[in-house]
Amino acid sequence: MSNSPDERGVELRELFYETSQELVQALNEEALKLEKNPADEEIVRSIRRTVHTLKGDSAACGLRELSELAHQFEDALSLESAASHAAVAEIAFATADIFSEMIAAYRNGTKLPATKALSKKIQELTSAPKNGKTRGKKTAGKTSKSKESTGKASVSKLASKADAQWTEYERLAMSKAQASGQDVLHVVTKIDAHCAMPIAGRQLVHNAIGTMGPVIAVRPDAKSPAAAKFIEFVVATVQTPEQIAAKCKIPTIVEEVSVEVLLHANAAPQPVEPEASSEAGAHDADAATEMTLPEPSTAAMLPAGSIPVPQENLLRVEAGRIDNVLNLVGELIIGKSMLQQALNEFTKRFPKEALRGKFADAMAFQARVLNDLQRSVMKIRMVPVDQLFRRFPRMVRDVARQCGREVELAVSGQDTDLDKGILDAIAEPLTHLVRNAISHGIESPEERRKLGKPSQGIVRLNAYHQGNQVIVEVTDDGRGIDVAKIRTKAFELGLTTPEEASKMSELEALNFIFRPGFSTAEQVTEVSGRGVGMDVVQSVLHRLKASISVDTRLGQGTTFRLKLPLTLAIIKALLFWVEQRLYAIPLNAVLEIARTFEGEVHQVDNYEVLQLRNQVLPLLRLGRPAPEGDRKTKLFVLIITVSEKKYGLIVDALEGEEELVIKALDEQTFSTDLVSGASILGDGRVVLILNLPAVVEHVARLRPQEMGQANSGLLLTHTDRMRLALTPEVGGQV
Amino acid sequence: MEQFAPVKRSKDGQPVRYLIVDDSVFARKNLARMIETFGGQVAAEAGDGLTAISEFDRTHPDIVLMDITMPQMEGIEAAERIVQQHPEARIVMVSSVGYQENIVAALQRGARHFVQKPVKPEVLYEVIKYVLGEDGAVSNAAGAGA
Repeated sequence: MSNSPDERGVELRELFYETSQELVQALNEEALKLEKNPADEEIVRSIRRTVHTLKGDSAACGLRELSELAHQFEDALSLESAASHAAVAEIAFATADIFSEMIAAYRNGTKLPATKALSKKIQELTSAPKNGKTRGKKTAGKTSKSKESTGKASVSKLASKADAQWTEYERLAMSKAQASGQDVLHVVTKIDAHCAMPIAGRQLVHNAIGTMGPVIAVRPDAKSPAAAKFIEFVVATVQTPEQIAAKCKIPTIVEEVSVEVLLHANAAPQPVEPEASSEAGAHDADAATEMTLPEPSTAAMLPAGSIPVPQENLLRVEAGRIDNVLNLVGELIIGKSMLQQALNEFTKRFPKEALRGKFADAMAFQARVLNDLQRSVMKIRMVPVDQLFRRFPRMVRDVARQCGREVELAVSGQDTDLDKGILDAIAEPLTHLVRNAISHGIESPEERRKLGKPSQGIVRLNAYHQGNQVIVEVTDDGRGIDVAKIRTKAFELGLTTPEEASKMSELEALNFIFRPGFSTAEQVTEVSGRGVGMDVVQSVLHRLKASISVDTRLGQGTTFRLKLPLTLAIIKALLFWVEQRLYAIPLNAVLEIARTFEGEVHQVDNYEVLQLRNQVLPLLRLGRPAPEGDRKTKLFVLIITVSEKKYGLIVDALEGEEELVIKALDEQTFSTDLVSGASILGDGRVVLILNLPAVVEHVARLRPQEMGQANSGLLLTHTDRMRLALTPEVGGQV
Repeated sequence: MEQFAPVKRSKDGQPVRYLIVDDSVFARKNLARMIETFGGQVAAEAGDGLTAISEFDRTHPDIVLMDITMPQMEGIEAAERIVQQHPEARIVMVSSVGYQENIVAALQRGARHFVQKPVKPEVLYEVIKYVLGEDGAVSNAAGAGA
């Protein structure tokens, strides 16, 4: 309330920008539905409702161009007949696009897109179906006739006849009012024949009724000549009809009043949305008589509760504020580990001190609350994946059309929650994967029929929780990826040798598709395009500490599986030492920790490997290479999984596990992608968090002849290498 | 001039107090006479909108009879300002037929009713009873005077 009108205007616009996105999205969804069921009148009505809301909202924000276009479309829809529903869907798509362009233009203060072509299309829509037009005219004639005839009749007769005149919007307001525990009354007043100022009288009656409850509809229009004789109101109120009638019997102005209950209040009252009434008021102005619904089938009131009243128990909060809270929680966690450390020292120094127990209790309590706090804050950031999945039906339709495919989109697991930041970040990669699945995965309808598959391909989007991760899958039932061709291609591009290629597992071979520029050449027709941008997909996922894996069966389809962390901000990590430096990796990547001797490490094709039980693991040596002939030195090997593959990470010593609050590193400070972030420990030490996929890739990408040395010393700087080269016996285990 | 059953304030039985606003002295006297026949009392008179506001603040009348066209401040603005300050104020606009839009505007800004010039006593009497609602001693129906 303390806001100035200007601030409120800005706030209102911001709200509009946000809510309008949802409306445009809804419009897209409805258009899709209509395209599937062109005969469904209800969908057309719901499109009209959506457009109407957009119109009203944008007009309230003073966005004239948008509201005019919406108005035009809405008008066209109210005249439209079943024959042209397909055209409606087409135009609804186009309108949705223009709307979102316009909204973006308003928001950024840029030039508005041209709407002429679209508005012409909309006009064509109204003029094309002849029967639709005549029907509209006929009913319009009928209603005006009925009005004239009732002009002479008694008010009660008029009241019973007037039920078909409410617009969709007004009906919605009525059922909302009903759901909120108000009766909806139809009031017909006859203006005193001697009243010299009927318009003023009308306003007076309007005011009087307005004191009883929100006025939903007023008929006829103030300018119409009939307005001097009768006025009809629909009002939502808790008062009795008798009270209303008494209130409306205004001396010298109203001669006769009849009140009729249209809808009885629902038993369980719900909070009313305040805008219902105010919007209805704003709507009066354009509630011209031609807006009346022609279909007699819809003349009866909508049944109670047929339109769900969404309970707006939501807060819209700027994401930055939540990030701020999360940051503070992060600081608290650092504080907690500081305390813990101090307590440990205290315990060591005064093992007999009785106070120790008290401290420990308080610490445990604080840790528990902190844990809950962290989880709650993280939950605020969580949004259902549906927010992202919702965009796809429209996109799938468009891409399928472009490529001449028949595709059905199946979505599951849309309730799975994911951090908003992650959700936003995977939008692009996921779009890319879906696009690829349609254009390169799914075969053309003829080809599918030849193969004995249904002509309509299926693209599946699925999301689910797995441990501390969220998995998002994109599956198609198309042709799959031919691994043999990838091998050939990789060799052609000089990425591998024929011998290596033949030894490569399918998974390893498939990983080539994530190499930059892998499939820019067109020879690999089956997978061409599969690799375009796949490196981008992967680099985005790496940044998120997420991974992607491929699962494909020739002729049966492909699944891309994204493994995403629940949140970006805090991870459980394993801390270890390499070359007297502290590093961390996400704990969920660690399968087990093994101890071994240098003598157990073997060289195979320039790779260092370790036989662990009956598995051979490629090793990643982060520190300096083992001294020649050293077989006794003990080694720690962290067994990790990266993209479903196991590796052994050779480290010097282990520090322990800890919850790390990740601080992002800017690219000026760190030019390597081997490190994905840093964190501060309780004692103020800084630890670098390794980006495991990048580390693995770094090793895999090295050319074979370099492999022997370069496999080692990944994390050493140039000066470190120099130092080690000069004094090979220095350094080593801590 | 015909006689009317007196309308008193229902809370204390005292005469209803009026503020009459019109730039014409004749019109004010005319209205004052009618009011007396209703058993009412003229609390104050004003010849323009500004005076009307200060007189309202001083006397807190039960009913304001407000002309529309006046010097300095028009009746609509005066009515609006009074209602903003005192939402409970009962303002009846008094105007000629030609000013219908102005009356609609005044009603939208919080005026309670209107009468048409030349004012007929029986019309004004009914309007006043209606506007007073339950607060008038000659009350009409239940539910009025919200």
